[in-house]
Amino acid sequence: MNLDGRKYVILVFFILVGSIYLIRLFFMQVVDDSWKLRAQEIAEKRKEITPPRGIVFDRHNKKVVTNRSYYNLMMKEEDIHDFDTVAFAKLVGWTKQEVKDRFYQIKKGEGKYRNPNTGKLQANYQKQRPYPFIKELTIDEITRIAPHLEKFPGFYEDLTSMRSYPYSGGANIFGYLNEVSKEEIEEDRFYRPGDQIGRAGIERYYEKQLRGQKGIKYIVTSALNNAIESYAGGKYDTLAEQGPALHLGLDIQLQVYGEKLMQNKRGCIVAIEPKTGEILALVSAPSFDPNILVGRRNIGKNYPKLLLDEGKPLYPRPLAAEYPPGSIFKLLQSLIGLQEGVITPESGFPCTKSMVGCHNHPNANNLPDGIKNSCNPYFYYVMRRIIQQGKKRSIFADAELGLNIWYDYIMSFGLGSEFETDVTGMRSGLIPNSAYYDKWYGHNTWAFSTIRSISIGQGEVKVTPLQMANIAAIIANKGWYYTPHFVRSIGNKGPLPQFKVVHKTKIDSQNFEPIIEGMRRVCYEPGGTGKRAVVEGVTVCGKTGTAQNPHGEDHSVFLAFAPMENPKIAIAVFIENAGFGGVWAAPTAGLMIDKYIHRKVKDKAKEQMIVSANLLNVKARPMKKK
Amino acid sequence: MRRDDSLTQHVDWWLLSIVVIMLGMGIANVYSAAYDPDHPNIFDFSQKYGKQIMWVGISIFLGFLVFLIDSDIYRKFAIPIYLFCFSLLVVVLFTPPINGARAWLGIGTMGIQPAEFMKIGTAIVLSRYISTVNVKNQNVQTVFIALAIVMVPMVMILLQPDAGTFVVFTSFFFVLYREGITFDPLVLKLVNAIPGVRFKETWVGSHFIPILFYVVFLSIVTLLMSGNKYEFTFMRGVLIPGFYGVITVITLIALIAYLILRWISSRRDQRRVLLIIVTGWFLSVAVSTTVNFSFSSLAPHQKDRIELVLGLRKDDDGKDYNRNRAMAAVGSGGLFGKGYKKASVASVRSNHVPESETDFIFCPLAEEWGFMGSLVIVGLFMGMLFRIIVIAERQRSTFNRVYAYCVAMIVFYHFAVNIGMNIGLAPVIGIPLPFFSYGGSSLMSFSMLLFILLKLDSQRRDVLF
Repeated sequence: MNLDGRKYVILVFFILVGSIYLIRLFFMQVVDDSWKLRAQEIAEKRKEITPPRGIVFDRHNKKVVTNRSYYNLMMKEEDIHDFDTVAFAKLVGWTKQEVKDRFYQIKKGEGKYRNPNTGKLQANYQKQRPYPFIKELTIDEITRIAPHLEKFPGFYEDLTSMRSYPYSGGANIFGYLNEVSKEEIEEDRFYRPGDQIGRAGIERYYEKQLRGQKGIKYIVTSALNNAIESYAGGKYDTLAEQGPALHLGLDIQLQVYGEKLMQNKRGCIVAIEPKTGEILALVSAPSFDPNILVGRRNIGKNYPKLLLDEGKPLYPRPLAAEYPPGSIFKLLQSLIGLQEGVITPESGFPCTKSMVGCHNHPNANNLPDGIKNSCNPYFYYVMRRIIQQGKKRSIFADAELGLNIWYDYIMSFGLGSEFETDVTGMRSGLIPNSAYYDKWYGHNTWAFSTIRSISIGQGEVKVTPLQMANIAAIIANKGWYYTPHFVRSIGNKGPLPQFKVVHKTKIDSQNFEPIIEGMRRVCYEPGGTGKRAVVEGVTVCGKTGTAQNPHGEDHSVFLAFAPMENPKIAIAVFIENAGFGGVWAAPTAGLMIDKYIHRKVKDKAKEQMIVSANLLNVKARPMKKK
Repeated sequence: MRRDDSLTQHVDWWLLSIVVIMLGMGIANVYSAAYDPDHPNIFDFSQKYGKQIMWVGISIFLGFLVFLIDSDIYRKFAIPIYLFCFSLLVVVLFTPPINGARAWLGIGTMGIQPAEFMKIGTAIVLSRYISTVNVKNQNVQTVFIALAIVMVPMVMILLQPDAGTFVVFTSFFFVLYREGITFDPLVLKLVNAIPGVRFKETWVGSHFIPILFYVVFLSIVTLLMSGNKYEFTFMRGVLIPGFYGVITVITLIALIAYLILRWISSRRDQRRVLLIIVTGWFLSVAVSTTVNFSFSSLAPHQKDRIELVLGLRKDDDGKDYNRNRAMAAVGSGGLFGKGYKKASVASVRSNHVPESETDFIFCPLAEEWGFMGSLVIVGLFMGMLFRIIVIAERQRSTFNRVYAYCVAMIVFYHFAVNIGMNIGLAPVIGIPLPFFSYGGSSLMSFSMLLFILLKLDSQRRDVLF
């Protein structure tokens, strides 16, 4: 037997294993990239850093929406040992059972994710991961708890940032934040469970700007998910970027003042700067303090209350409540009449009261007086001239033509359609045209007499308070407007482009003169319906309205702008079921104008009268929703 | 003294250099793998790198001792050394278990593993025994003694239990094969017990290593193919998968081999050929059947490991956690690696790869130095193995040669199994990588193995038998 050959067997065996290993290593390390990906999956984690949301400023650079630090009490089960449930419950002010329940809740519910294979939701609780045990503790609460936490290993505090509203007003404007839903996470990859998202108002409309840019940190993690160091020395990390500041046209002091005036009332105030279309105030009464909807705990506690409140504080009245405009509509009829040439500023009509009722006043011999007296028959005649121009032989065909001419004018005022603007929850109101009446009555079956109630802003016509205020702004500008909007500048980039577009009405500017004169007389001449709106030091132009409605007492409406010569504020006040427009709405508008222009209200008696008035129970009925 | 002068002249500098380089790299690597930023000093003895330096120091000291002592002592005192190591193996079984095994003989916080030193004892005794055997005149008794020298310690080690070292002891069978210790007497006794059979020699007993390879190969094929066992469609769609497929293939190969051999062989050899093929076929079927049906009787965790290595199952984050993490660490190294102390998967701090400073020490190495590092490590081990074989083959004395082969095979086993499991080619068996893994016992035992070899080699000319 030749044993010498056997050394070669062994040598070949060595070489074979050595080369197989080298080939394998070459493939694993150099050729095949899948192990590198696997290693990244194992050891490198992306950590997202959510920046604080953008700050919101008002027109005087006051912070109206800002961020405040809160604390989460975090827990990491792995580190918990010798846990004294009773002592812990005592520390956080819970019952023993509540503490146990919360543990159970976290283990069952936190970190749920949808299994891509089965499509089912799976709990992904891990002992090594930190979870917020109690969310959103205030600084006071945490300073009480934190010193004792060393007795409870596995628990620690973690800083988070949440919204705060220093002025306690404008809840309906700013909206609120809430945790994102699963659907939103699936829709937008930006969000992760637990992130906040704007739920209404500006927070919602400017969500993409306010949320900012998340920072991404690549870190090397251990098997227990602890960060060890930043990956590649932080070369690929990006910084979190706070969203840009939003500068609003809003005057927060005016807003808060308006909310104060409107307490114990239902209705709204909308104020616009005519020159820019910036909304100065948007009061929706009843209102609430936006701070009560900050954080999960508060939302859970207060949101249902607000939802069930019979005053419907969550309903965006200035944007969505469609009211009959009442007498303020007469201003538009006058403008259309003049533009169409069917009346002149000197036209006079008798107060016949035969077709429509009226109050007692002398006959108006010219247009400004017709406006001053708010004479219903006067505008009945004006409207009849617009609708029945006699261009067609058939009265029905004539009315159809006339109504559509009228409709085109009205639409150019931005009525009957939603503004493309930065508020959410808006409705369009309603302006009827021939198609509308054809649907109701049938083609060629209706004429002016059928639809006459629209001449005084009753009947089918519906307008939102925002649209009313915009009418005031259009009159102040003599024929044009910018879409009413909140944000005058995102960061320092100016407003959204659509707010720089001038919308022109179909009325020539000289036709506004007699209307403005009429509005002045409303406030300053004997027999004027809006004398309570007068403000010392400025000329106020206004128009009262008293909108009849099927829900009870008439709505009190007032529309105004001031000063007459160089309008700085256009305003609409709408107080539900408060009766005649001159009584409640006009003085409220006056106070708002005074506050805005002079920054201080001199007429304390008037202020006191409005603030203390409780108009809630004047035949209170549930508000109509279209 | 002539001998002392001859030490520097006759020591094998190649092998010594490789050992020293490995010791140095080993320290550097443990320092990286177990690095703790709170204890940056490499000589911090509270840390593993500090301790490793201490162990290296002790190992070098032991090496000097070995160099000072006359090499004849090992042959002379082979049996007492063996018995001393064996007694430690007995004593260790009465210690309290650590991590489920009674493998550690503690002296304070320092512990040694007697099984590591038993390798030296066994190598020495086996060398001495084989040097006394006349290869041409073997009987059942020689086989039994050789088997006993190797297998009695194996049983003791299995009692600890220490599967890794147990496997390493099978390396001695390669030495037996190399030295021509044949199992033929044993096999003949069994085969000739069958009535009517009279063999003077069998092929099986003397060529057991190639046969072992064939058996391992056949077992792997059987396990791979019997995944969907007992499926059998013959007439419609002739595919016969599963275990029966293996049997079918074996039979077909046997038939073809028979036809070819009958055609090329002379008439006189016809019966011999038929006999070899029938025996081969019968043994193959027996092995295949045994593997197939005994596999299910393995312990569940052993079954899992084999299935995972063969790729029959995937369980990356469960049972295959260690292997998967180790492979990710190795694979992520790329061509040049992530740089020294930059391992993100295999560092002790990240702890993705468990035991990354001991059994999985190759991971941080391959991750930090990339394929280039792997090449150096594999190259060093290959160089060491070749050098040992060269040394073995130049010895005049059988004792020295057998001892050298023992060292070669032990080092090779550790190298192959350890790196094999790091790159997913071997099941996870916990044995250290010589000179690299953290741990005193392994370091000391390997140093002594090699220093004894170096000493024996340096004195090879003095030996007369």
